[in-house]
Amino acid sequence: MNRLDKLPTLRIDTHETRSLKYRGKSYQGFAGDTVATALYANGIRVFARSLKYHRPRGLYSLDGESSNTCMEVDGVPNVRTENTLLKNGMVVKAQNVKGSADYDVMAFMDKLDWMMPAGFYYKTLHKPAAVWPAAMKAIRKAAGVGTISAEYKVKGCYDEIFLTAEVCVIGGGAAGMMAALAAAESGVRVILLESRPFLGGNWDYRTRVYKEGKALFTRSRELAGQVENTHNIRVFKHASMVGAYNNNLITAFQVGKSSDAFTERYIEIRAKSVVVATGCIERPLIFENNERPGVMQVACAHRLARSYGLLPGKEAVFSVGHDLGLEAALDLFDLGIKIPCVADIREDGHDADLLKELARRNVPVLKGWVAAKAHGCKQVSRVTLATLDGTVKRQMPCDLLVASAGHTPVNGPLILAQGKMAYDDHSGYFLPKKLPDKMFSAGWMTGRSHPQAIEASGRLAGLKALASIGAGDGIAVSNAEKAAATMPGPVRGCKLVTAPVKGRKSFICFDEDTTIKNIKQAIDMGFDVPELIKRFTSAGTGPGQGGIPGHNLPLFVSKYTASVAKPMPTTVRPPLVPTLLATYAGAHHHMFKRTPLHASQKKEGGIFRNIGVWQRARYFSKDFDCKDEILNVRNNVGMLDSSSLGKFRIFGPDALNALQRLYVSDMSTIKEGRIKYSAMCNDDGCVMDDGVVVKLGDNDYYITTSSGRAGNTVEWFRFHTRYDGWEYHMVNLTDAMGVINISGPNARKVLTKVVDTDVSNEAFPFAGYREFTIKNTIPVRAMRLGFVGELSFELHVPSSYMQSVWDMLMAAGAEFNIQNFGLEAQNVLRMEKGHIILGQESEQRTNLLDLGLGFLWDRKKTTAKTVGAVALRQAENDPGRLKLVGIRMQDDTRAPRDGALIVDTRVRGYVATARKSFSTHEAVGMALVESQLSKPGSTLEIYEDECNEKRLHARVVPMPFYDPDGQRMKM
Amino acid sequence: MTGIPRYSPVTFKSRVHTSEIRDNWKIVLDYQDEGPGPWLVDLSHKPRWDLQDSRIDNPSSSGLAVPSRPGDCLLKKNRLINRLNRTQAVIWHMGIEEMRLPEFKGFTDVTESTVFLALLGPDVFHVAEKLTALDLMNPARTAPFLLQGPLCHVPCQIVVLERHADMSGGYLLACSRGYADSMVQAVLLGGQEFGLRPAGETRFANWVQNLSNK
Repeated sequence: MNRLDKLPTLRIDTHETRSLKYRGKSYQGFAGDTVATALYANGIRVFARSLKYHRPRGLYSLDGESSNTCMEVDGVPNVRTENTLLKNGMVVKAQNVKGSADYDVMAFMDKLDWMMPAGFYYKTLHKPAAVWPAAMKAIRKAAGVGTISAEYKVKGCYDEIFLTAEVCVIGGGAAGMMAALAAAESGVRVILLESRPFLGGNWDYRTRVYKEGKALFTRSRELAGQVENTHNIRVFKHASMVGAYNNNLITAFQVGKSSDAFTERYIEIRAKSVVVATGCIERPLIFENNERPGVMQVACAHRLARSYGLLPGKEAVFSVGHDLGLEAALDLFDLGIKIPCVADIREDGHDADLLKELARRNVPVLKGWVAAKAHGCKQVSRVTLATLDGTVKRQMPCDLLVASAGHTPVNGPLILAQGKMAYDDHSGYFLPKKLPDKMFSAGWMTGRSHPQAIEASGRLAGLKALASIGAGDGIAVSNAEKAAATMPGPVRGCKLVTAPVKGRKSFICFDEDTTIKNIKQAIDMGFDVPELIKRFTSAGTGPGQGGIPGHNLPLFVSKYTASVAKPMPTTVRPPLVPTLLATYAGAHHHMFKRTPLHASQKKEGGIFRNIGVWQRARYFSKDFDCKDEILNVRNNVGMLDSSSLGKFRIFGPDALNALQRLYVSDMSTIKEGRIKYSAMCNDDGCVMDDGVVVKLGDNDYYITTSSGRAGNTVEWFRFHTRYDGWEYHMVNLTDAMGVINISGPNARKVLTKVVDTDVSNEAFPFAGYREFTIKNTIPVRAMRLGFVGELSFELHVPSSYMQSVWDMLMAAGAEFNIQNFGLEAQNVLRMEKGHIILGQESEQRTNLLDLGLGFLWDRKKTTAKTVGAVALRQAENDPGRLKLVGIRMQDDTRAPRDGALIVDTRVRGYVATARKSFSTHEAVGMALVESQLSKPGSTLEIYEDECNEKRLHARVVPMPFYDPDGQRMKM
Repeated sequence: MTGIPRYSPVTFKSRVHTSEIRDNWKIVLDYQDEGPGPWLVDLSHKPRWDLQDSRIDNPSSSGLAVPSRPGDCLLKKNRLINRLNRTQAVIWHMGIEEMRLPEFKGFTDVTESTVFLALLGPDVFHVAEKLTALDLMNPARTAPFLLQGPLCHVPCQIVVLERHADMSGGYLLACSRGYADSMVQAVLLGGQEFGLRPAGETRFANWVQNLSNK
C-alpha cells in the first residue's frame, strides 16, 4: 500500500477496498477515494486529452474545476472523477483520445495551434462556404469531450426533495458551520449544503494550529459534530448548489451514498434567508505548460496527502502567491516530500512563522520569483523559475510543481442571486458590494482568512440571517458585529496573473484550450470586454463553469488593455455545477387521471391514449379505423365511457345570472326535465366551451363542459363575474360522476332491462333529462343526447357505482351483442353528424358564427351582458373569417390527414377532421376555410406533409353527412 | 338495496386480512403484515361534504361551526371541518357511522369527487418532502391545519393532524378521484425508502381516536 494510513486527517478507510477497471486492468482504491484519487494512487498521471490540442491532462484541483479529469465512467461521459466517489466495479475510460490517454494519435494537434487563432471557427472556415460542412465535421470529430451512445439508458434512481427552511447555509466549511449553529440557536429550521462528502472546508485537512494547540482539522471536526448533532440543522453533504432564484429559492443536487435510496437527487429549498459561505478556490498561476500533468494547485497536493494519504510526488517545487502555499510546503515536507525550493511571487507580506519553519527545514524561499515554464512531455520533469521581470531564470528538476497565484471567493451563488460584486484592490478578490435581500456572506467571501475571523464572520452571518426574518436578537447581532470587528481583516492578495512569458502555451482556460495568446489576439481584434472575449475565445464556457479562468480572465484583460476601470467578474448561470438531466427530471411521476372504468376497459382490450390530463380508451381493436365499433353503434348498440366530461353544480341566488353571463343562449328558458345545449365564448366571441345545462331546482343547475376545459370552468365563471358581487357557488363534480354513453338503435332495449323507470320515447324524449335509480339503489342522472347521431342515453352515475352499472348494462346487452366503443369511433360517428369537438374543429380564432353555432346565440338577452356578444355583433358582417364547412373528397377511398392544409397559391384553411365514413361510404370531413371558399360546390386543394406536390381535391358539401333530418337520435 | 358493490378508486396489492362491507363499500380493516410504519390508508369511502355559503361564519345558517380563517381546521367527534376560503369549507367524516347530507342547500356530497388518503406513522413528513413543496412542517401553524396546493403537481387539500420534530405524525390528503392510481403509485414510491405500506381502516381509526383523546 502506498498510502500514509496513519494520518488523523484521512478521509479514506484503508480497511475497505474498492476496485475499478481502467484500460482492461483492475485497480484498487479505498472507501472514501474518488475515482481520480484511486487512479492517481495507482500511478495514472494522464487522465484525458484536451479539447482542441489533445494535450495530456492530469489532476489539478481535486474539486472538478476543470475538465482535466473528466472521464467516461460506467458508460457516462464527462464524469468529474475528482468529485465522484469510487464504487466497486466501476469501469473507467479516458475520453477524447485516439489510442490511449498516454499515447494519443491526435497529439500532433498540439503543434498546430498556430492554425487555430482566437475565433478561427468564426473566421477561417467561412470562405469558401462549400468547405464548411466537411470542415465542421472533421473539426467536431477531432475535438470535443466525451460522447454518449444513442442507446444509453441512464441507470440508477433519481429523486427529488422539496424543503423549506428559515435559514439555508451554502457551504459547510468553518464559516458555514458557525452560521448554521448561530442560526439554529433560536430553534428555527436550518439547512446546510456542502458540496464535498464531508464538512470542514479547507480546515478539514490543515494541521496548522487553530487555537491553544488545537489543529484546524480538529476544530472543524468538532464543529461538524456539533452541527450534525443539532436537531434543527439538516445537513446535506455531497450536495452542490446549482441555482438561486427569486424569493431565495435555492436549488441543489445531492449525490447519494451506497446506503441511500437515490443515485442523485434534485433539491429545491425555499429559504427565508440565505448565508453564502462557499469559501475560496485557488486562482491559477499562468505560465508555459501550466496544465502539464504534475502541475497542481496547492490544495490539491495538500489534500492528496492529508485526506487521501497519497504523496503527490517525490520532489516538489512550489510557485505560490499566498501563505497557504507556504503552509502546504511545510506540511508536505514533513510528510516526506523533498522540496528544493518555494518560489513566492510576493516580495513581502509573508507569515513570518511559516518562513521561519521553512528555513528551519532548509527549504529555500525565493521571494519575487515565479514558475515560467514546466518541462516534460507527459509529466513535469523540471521547471524554469524566473524573477517577476523575467530577467533571471533558473531551472530545477522536479516531478511535481505546486502552483497557485492566489485565491478567489466562490461568488457564483451571489451572482446568480443578482448580488453585485466589486474588485477589492487590497485582497484582489471580487467581493460582494451589494447583497441580495435576506442573503448574507461569511468566511472567505468576506475577504478574511484568519481562522478566528472566519468563525466570527460565520456567526455574524447566521445571526443576521435570523434577524432578517424577524427571528433574531438585535443584541446578539450587535455583539457578533463587535466581535468580528476585532478580528484580523483581509490580507493583501497577490495580483500577478501570468509569469513573464509570451503565452503561446500558457493556458487561461483548460477546458477550451484557451491560451493567453488567444486572449491577446481577441483583444487585438477589438474585443475589450471580458464577457465578449469569453464568448469569442470560449474561455470559461466548458464543463468547469469558469472555475479556472473565472478570475484570471477579467484581471488579465484589465491589465492588457491598461483599463482604468476596475475588473468585473463574468456572468455565471445555473447550473453552477454540472449534473445529469436525469437528476433534474427527478422522480418524474406520471400523473394522469383515470376513469372509474379504466381497469375493466383495459381488460376488454382498450388501447389508451393520454388526452389532456386523462388517459382514455381510444380504440378497442388494432383496427384504428374502428369500422366494427362504428357500425355496431349505427346498427346495434355500443357503450362509451365518457366520464372525463366536466360536470358542475352551480347554485345560489345569482346562479342564473352567472349562466346568462357565460353562456350565449338565454338560460332562463331552461325547462325542468329538459337539457339545454349551449356554448361559452371569450370576449372575442371565440368559442371556449360547449355543453348542456340542466335545472335541478330553484337557482340550482347542473352543467357539463368539455373534458379539456373542466379544470378551468370555475375560474372562468369567477373571472367573468368578478365585479358583480353575485352570490352563487360552484362545485366541481367531474370526478364524482362517471358517464356511460349507451348508443345505437338497441340502446333503449338494453337500458329498460336495468333501470327502475320508463325510458320510452314518450316518457323520456330526445333532449330530455330524468333522475331515477337503478335497482332502487344507484342514483342516476340521465340525458337523451345525440352526439353520435343515434338513439343515445347519457347516464351520470356516482363514480363508485360506475363499474357495477357498466357490468349490469353489459350483462343486459349481451343478448344484443353489445360492444364497447372508444373515442376514435365516437370521433367518426359525430363527424358524420357534423357535430364539432372544440379544439378539433375550432381554434383560437374561430368564433361562434364561424362554427355555424350562431343559432345558439340569443341576441335579445338583457339580464346579463353575455361574454363575447359585442365581438359577435361586430363579426356578423365580417367577410374575412374562417368558416367551418363539410367537405367530400374527390377520391372516396382517400381521406386527408387531420390538419392538412387547404391551399391554392397560399394557405386558405385546413382540414379539421376527415375520415372514410363507413356509414355513407364516402371520404368526408370538416374543414376551416376562408369564407370565399365556403360556398357549397367550391373546390378545395389539399396539401399534406410529404405529398410530393401531389395535391388532393375535395369540394364543399352540406352537413350533416349522415341522417340529415336527425330522425335516428329521436327514435 | 345491498349487494351492488361500490368501488374505491384505490386498490392496494397487499393481502387483505380482515374486511367488512359498509354501505356497499368493501372496507379493508387491516392488511397482512402492515409493517412498523409509515402507513398509507385509503379512506375514499368516508363521507365528505362541500359547504358553500356567503354566511358560512354564521353557525345558524349551515348548522356547523366553521373555523373562521381559511386554512384553519376543527377536529371534533370524528368530524373534521376545514375552512377553504371566504365562502367555502369541506367536512370530512372520519368515523364509521352513516352520515346523511343536511337539508341546507349549501351542502353538496363530494364523497365521490376525491380520493381520500391518510399517511401516518414515522417519517411521513419525509415522504411528503419528496412529493410537494408545500410546507407541512411550518412552525407557524398548529395542527390541525389545511394546506391547498400541488402534491406531485396535482391540486390537493392536505390536512396535517399530528406532527413531531422527528418527522412522524400524520396527515390527510384529498385530490380529484381520477388521480387516485397515479397518486397512490407516487406516494408509495416516495415512501418506499421509509417502508411505507398500505394499512387498513383500523389503524387509522385508532390513530384518530388517540388524537381525539389527547
